[in-house]
Amino acid sequence: MTAELTAVGGADQLATERLAARATAPPPRPKAKAGPVEWILVHMTFVVVCAFFLVPFVWLLSAAFDAKATAYIQFPVEPTIMNFVRIFTEHDFGRVLVNSVFVAVSTMILVVVTVSLAGYSLSRLDLRRKDWITYAVLLLQTMPISATMVPIYGLARQLGLRNSYLGLILIHAAIELPFLIWLMKGFFDSIPRHLEEAAWLDGRSRIRALIEIVLPLARPGLGIAAGLAFLSAWAEVLMVVILIDQDSLKTVPLAFYEAMRNQGGYVEVQYGVIAAMAVIYLLPVMVVFFAARRLMVRGLMSSTRGL
Amino acid sequence: MAVARRGRLARNRLYLAGLSPAAFLLALFFVGPALWALGSSFTNRALVGIDAANPRFVGLDNYVRLFGDPDFGRVILNSVIFVIGSAIIGQFVLGLLLALLLDHAQRRGFLASNFVYAAVLLAWVNPTIIAGFLWVAMFDFYNGSLNTGLHVLGAQPVNWLGQGPMLAVIIANTWRGTAFTMLIFLGALRTIPSDIYEAARVDGAGAVRRFWDHTLPILRPIAALTLLSVTMATFGTFILIQTLTNGGPAFQTEVIALYAFHEAFQNHAVGYGSTIAVVMLALNLAFAIVFLRWSRARA
Amino acid sequence: MANVEFDEVWKQFASQTAAAVKGLSLDIRDHELLVLLGPSGCGKTTALRMLAGLEEPDGGDIRIGGKSVVGLEPKDRDVALVFQSYALYPHLSAHDNIGYPLKVRNLSKADQEAKVQRVAEMLGIGHLLPRRPGQLSGGEQQRVALARAIVREPRVFLMDEPLSNLDAKLRVHTRTELKTLQRELGTTMVFVTHDQAEAMSLANRIAVLSAGELQQIGTPDEVYDHPANLFVAEFIGSPPMNLLEATRDGDSVIAESGWRIPAPRPATASSSSSEQLTVGLRPEGIAIVPAGQDGGQAAEVVAVEPLGSEVIVDVRVGSQALKIRAAPDVRPEPGSTIGLRADPAAVRLFDRSSGLAIH
Repeated sequence: MTAELTAVGGADQLATERLAARATAPPPRPKAKAGPVEWILVHMTFVVVCAFFLVPFVWLLSAAFDAKATAYIQFPVEPTIMNFVRIFTEHDFGRVLVNSVFVAVSTMILVVVTVSLAGYSLSRLDLRRKDWITYAVLLLQTMPISATMVPIYGLARQLGLRNSYLGLILIHAAIELPFLIWLMKGFFDSIPRHLEEAAWLDGRSRIRALIEIVLPLARPGLGIAAGLAFLSAWAEVLMVVILIDQDSLKTVPLAFYEAMRNQGGYVEVQYGVIAAMAVIYLLPVMVVFFAARRLMVRGLMSSTRGL
Repeated sequence: MAVARRGRLARNRLYLAGLSPAAFLLALFFVGPALWALGSSFTNRALVGIDAANPRFVGLDNYVRLFGDPDFGRVILNSVIFVIGSAIIGQFVLGLLLALLLDHAQRRGFLASNFVYAAVLLAWVNPTIIAGFLWVAMFDFYNGSLNTGLHVLGAQPVNWLGQGPMLAVIIANTWRGTAFTMLIFLGALRTIPSDIYEAARVDGAGAVRRFWDHTLPILRPIAALTLLSVTMATFGTFILIQTLTNGGPAFQTEVIALYAFHEAFQNHAVGYGSTIAVVMLALNLAFAIVFLRWSRARA
Repeated sequence: MANVEFDEVWKQFASQTAAAVKGLSLDIRDHELLVLLGPSGCGKTTALRMLAGLEEPDGGDIRIGGKSVVGLEPKDRDVALVFQSYALYPHLSAHDNIGYPLKVRNLSKADQEAKVQRVAEMLGIGHLLPRRPGQLSGGEQQRVALARAIVREPRVFLMDEPLSNLDAKLRVHTRTELKTLQRELGTTMVFVTHDQAEAMSLANRIAVLSAGELQQIGTPDEVYDHPANLFVAEFIGSPPMNLLEATRDGDSVIAESGWRIPAPRPATASSSSSEQLTVGLRPEGIAIVPAGQDGGQAAEVVAVEPLGSEVIVDVRVGSQALKIRAAPDVRPEPGSTIGLRADPAAVRLFDRSSGLAIH
């Protein structure tokens, strides 16, 4: 997901925002009433749109709780929780889940530390060529990860990083860096320098000033970065496919990938069981999504600022 | 003066140091693979066999073979069709329409718009492998939700993945990625204060006129950049297509990312696969430079 | 050019408990500059928007030139509105902003150009025409918004606090320009503001509103000298009118602090003859006399505010605080005692419970 985000019209957003800021906001006014025809048309469209976007999820829920789940939506023929039990007892989902958690959390920590440092440094850097670095970061962000699958496989094999979490964590962290450095730079840009400068004058070292003064102010940005880093690592499938083939190291996406592997023909899938896995796998995503929806979107969109 | 300059450099040294861990990671896992792919594309490296142990330098042979291969032509065509269908017609247009709809609904105070907004976002935020799984089920010929729906309406079931794989893959990817363009357009639309529309109303402009004169001009600047952006993002689609059709049936949905993967890991031709990867990266770089130039021009 | 009538207009928004406009009846004469004055939330902007056609009244009628406009789209009413935020089209140049209403009406290019140039000249913004709103200062934007309204040659000008976003000096300067402009153009103008000084200086007549109801309508002099109720009395005038609670005693009234103020009984003595009154005295209606002088009320000086052309003296009579306007050389010592004498002609009486003026 984050790989898709490029600094779209960064300058444009900036320009239109500037224009909007200049137009002074009038006092909030009660909204104009809409006619009944308009109301019906709009809400009918809403229903169609929601149906398109939500039907797959509705199916997912109906299949996860159904012992006789099939590919179409039905009220569970045989409502059961057994699917959820079976994935842990028969399919070793527990271990896979733990692996995923470990990898995602480790990646998140590595990413947040690296990205705060890099974002802060880039923000405060005072070089003539500073823009070049920023553009280089932007360029990297647009790279399609699927194109790097082959060379990373080769490189990892030569470096001995295959089938190791070290390799996986490092590589995935690297993938997340360009976008998140961009994000954090934006946040640090908005924190005025004179706060650290006051701390330096007081005798604090650079590092202490950063940790004690600047980071607390950047907390919302760090939160967003952490959330996005976690979700991205949680969903990582391309690199896992390339790097991991040892059973004990598998993460959830790989389990799915192997269950779904389409040999070009028909797929025989135990829908109920896999649906149950999917539901559990989706839980952290839903939690972060609903808890921080506005923050996340703002973070994703604010990535365009500062061009 | 000299002291100040020294101080400046010294301070910068610290910041450059702060950048180094990130730079190290980026070099290793972005620049490194790009270079590795480039190097490997000039060899006949393979996954197994003699060529795995002792890859031979073959110069531009791989490239010659690639550009002369009708399969590759087919792959490019597929990729173009996919991008046009999913990114341009699907995500861009649908995202724009949804943004207009939601902006209007929000100005009217329709609370349901929040729900719709969340639904579109949900399709985007969930892991791609899950999206693949969901749509495999949706497209299932015998029991999938789409065919069941058609059955209910009295229509014939469609063999989505078998007979209309490109369409199926485009639909699934549009479902997945529309939120991105919707968010960008919605952001732009929200910057228009309601006053503007009221002033236009008082000035005598009807609804269509207001849209044409005041909404579109605000959207036009970012439309081009958004289009380029979503094109670039769709270009590298891999997992979704692999899960649904794996490039088939009969090469019908083999896009460039899948082609590289299959050549390297199924046909074991890593060198050749690297060649394809290099082509992908080069194309992407070209797009990216255009993109950067456009966005800087906007500044 | 036309007159405007509000006839028992009601407006209730679903999201609010109280009605925004309650039974408003108002006659605005042709060629007149009428100011709708009142605090925020009093319904003045709502009334203006109903006149423009951006809101529709829930009850009553609105007429322009004698014909009802209720239900008509704004464009069919031939009114122009200047928004508080100016609402200039950000993506169009000033020139195109001004010309937009003409373009919508499909005027010929030549006609459009001629009118735009004429209006630009009138307001002195010819040199700003190629620029975009984002490149203009607040004052310049305001003129462009004004030009856009004028170029349409409407029957009625509507202005929603157009000067509020300007800095003080510019506001005063533009005020005068607006007044002159309206007189030259002769077009009926309805001007909304919360600034009473602005209202006083601009208006031919002022309509004071509070909580959706009309309090009083009259010329600035009428509203200042003879406020119809306590609300108007307090709202108009700076420093505000001094208000004292008092009871009647023969030919005068006695304030709670004990001050006896001459106040002849009105010719038509009200039958309720409630003796609970509020007495209003404008700061200039109280004279300062030497302490202890016969007929003077003793008062303690709290503060002296020299304003250059005059002096405001803050005093205390008992527990009552008063402000008095005096000549610039009057400088009593804070803490000292002075004498006050009320000018009988300046005494205004209000019924304490209803707030209405007693004549």
